[in-house]
Amino acid sequence: MFVKYKPKRNLLETILHTEILQGMALTLRRLFSRPITRQYPDEEIPVALGFRGQHALVRDPETGGSLCVACMRCATVCPSRCIHIRYHEDDGKRVVDSYDIEALRCVYCGYCEEVCPVNALVLTEIFEYAAYSRQPFHFDRDGLLANWDRFCRERNISPQEYVNPFWRPRGLPENRLPAGKRLQVPEDWTMEGQVVGSRYREALPNDGTR
Amino acid sequence: MTKPMHTTLEVPVAAGDEESYSLRMGPQHPATHGVLRVDLELDGETILDCTPRVGYLHRGFDKLAEHRTYAQGLILTDRLDYVGAMANNVGYCVAVEKLLGIDVPLRAKYIRTMVSEMSRICGHLLWLATHALDIGAMTVFLYCFREREVLLELFEELCGARLTFSYPRIGGVRQDVTHSFIRRLTEFANTFPGWIEDYETLIDTNRIWLKRTRGVGVISGEDALDLGITGPSLRGSGIKYDVRKARPYDAYSLVDFEVPVGRDGDIYARYRCRMEEMRQSARIILQCIDQLPPGPIVGDDAPDLVMPLHGHPKKEADASRWGTGLIRLLQDRSLFPRGEVYVSVEAPKGELGFYFISDGSGRPYRMHIRSPSFIHIGALPFMTRGAMIADLIAIIGTLDVVLGECDR
Repeated sequence: MFVKYKPKRNLLETILHTEILQGMALTLRRLFSRPITRQYPDEEIPVALGFRGQHALVRDPETGGSLCVACMRCATVCPSRCIHIRYHEDDGKRVVDSYDIEALRCVYCGYCEEVCPVNALVLTEIFEYAAYSRQPFHFDRDGLLANWDRFCRERNISPQEYVNPFWRPRGLPENRLPAGKRLQVPEDWTMEGQVVGSRYREALPNDGTR
Repeated sequence: MTKPMHTTLEVPVAAGDEESYSLRMGPQHPATHGVLRVDLELDGETILDCTPRVGYLHRGFDKLAEHRTYAQGLILTDRLDYVGAMANNVGYCVAVEKLLGIDVPLRAKYIRTMVSEMSRICGHLLWLATHALDIGAMTVFLYCFREREVLLELFEELCGARLTFSYPRIGGVRQDVTHSFIRRLTEFANTFPGWIEDYETLIDTNRIWLKRTRGVGVISGEDALDLGITGPSLRGSGIKYDVRKARPYDAYSLVDFEVPVGRDGDIYARYRCRMEEMRQSARIILQCIDQLPPGPIVGDDAPDLVMPLHGHPKKEADASRWGTGLIRLLQDRSLFPRGEVYVSVEAPKGELGFYFISDGSGRPYRMHIRSPSFIHIGALPFMTRGAMIADLIAIIGTLDVVLGECDR
């Protein structure tokens, strides 16, 4: 397919500058439409659920500590190797000594929260955090738990009900998930409620779920 | 292609008694699209010779990938062509899947096609915005960023990131699409052709735009092929070559689209090609939404994100598959075959290729990226000979280079 050009302008159009006037008419029309600029930071920017932002360790409502079981999967999968975990074994059970994340090395890929078998780690939707030195970005375990508290407080999130899309990836069959990740999720996150094209919609039984 | 290409430039000398002088443009020049330095040999304002110097943004991705598993290497591709990163992600995954011999479910293929085209629109919008801004059209820049913002928000809803997506995974995609995403994307794809007409009203027949683009930066189809130019920059010269048609990957063989081709090989023809391509992309997106099949988004044999470093598959703990798992263990089959693979995809800038050498371990022995921007910059001296400095700006713009991809 050869691309089409608009016809060359004739003498009258050259004299009258019609194409320039057309362009100016377009910009003039836009002058009266609603502005799309968002006045950040005066206005709050809506952040989508599952935005990969500041790191946090989920606080266990029973013990008050973290849920981490020191399986080391997050530290293994991390492409930038910014997660450092130390643990010791006590009676055959791993006890976390320290859990550190260097946020300045992190690439925010979200692999860690996806592979965590107990949903202990989350990349929260907080995207605005700045400091004057590097030290505040070196999160230890208490810092990460404090991040979770801040996240729940600022976004009015009930810690029991919050489900991050990377904890239980949308559309992933349940048998690919460990037991700890088979969470109760909204309808269209499951394979049964997945959105399909109009071509397939008629072929499927119409029971109101699709 | 029959005509041999003169690969060494004969530098013309300045006319008369005037001495030519050299000028360095960049690497901080705002019109060089990043950190490109161009050493110019000038006679007055006419360019006698031009030498692009690249490497200011070199991060060593080829080497970094050798120390990462295949799943971890995916995040490096986000940072190649960062204005349309989804095409890089998809290209990487297609290459690794070919290496490992993994099938991708049809639904994942359609989703990948859809997001690749969104990424193409994103890339072309940023190209048009900056290219027009370089030439002097400010309004187009603002309008393009308005539409690009819609797409970035869609990406954010889909995968939680606006630029560094890491969205596909080996054997599928990481997240399924949602109802609200599909609704917003349908609305966008339906209204977007109208917005393209807005840009065209502004610059298509504008006499300043025509003066700056018609007959400037002309390259013939044969020369473009010899220089290895691909993508819209090649199609502007009249060569109908598109990886999506030539070697279809994902769901491109299942959707209907045209490959726009220009005639003149100048900046204006390439501009027209890209504008038509955006229309075709919107068409592909609508078809993908329409044809989106039900099913899983990750194949059954897709590897886990935590990939083994040494070629043996992890023992399956699943009781139902214990029998086959044991047999697999006894057979001592390696998960990663030895060998080489080269796969190319049509990225917004051109043909993006991934070349892997696998030695049977969980990491690539060698990864090479054939990045279109690097090769396009190589064509810069051939296109700028005898042009003015102001034309150089337009030619850098029309080649659509992203230095993150060029320097890798």
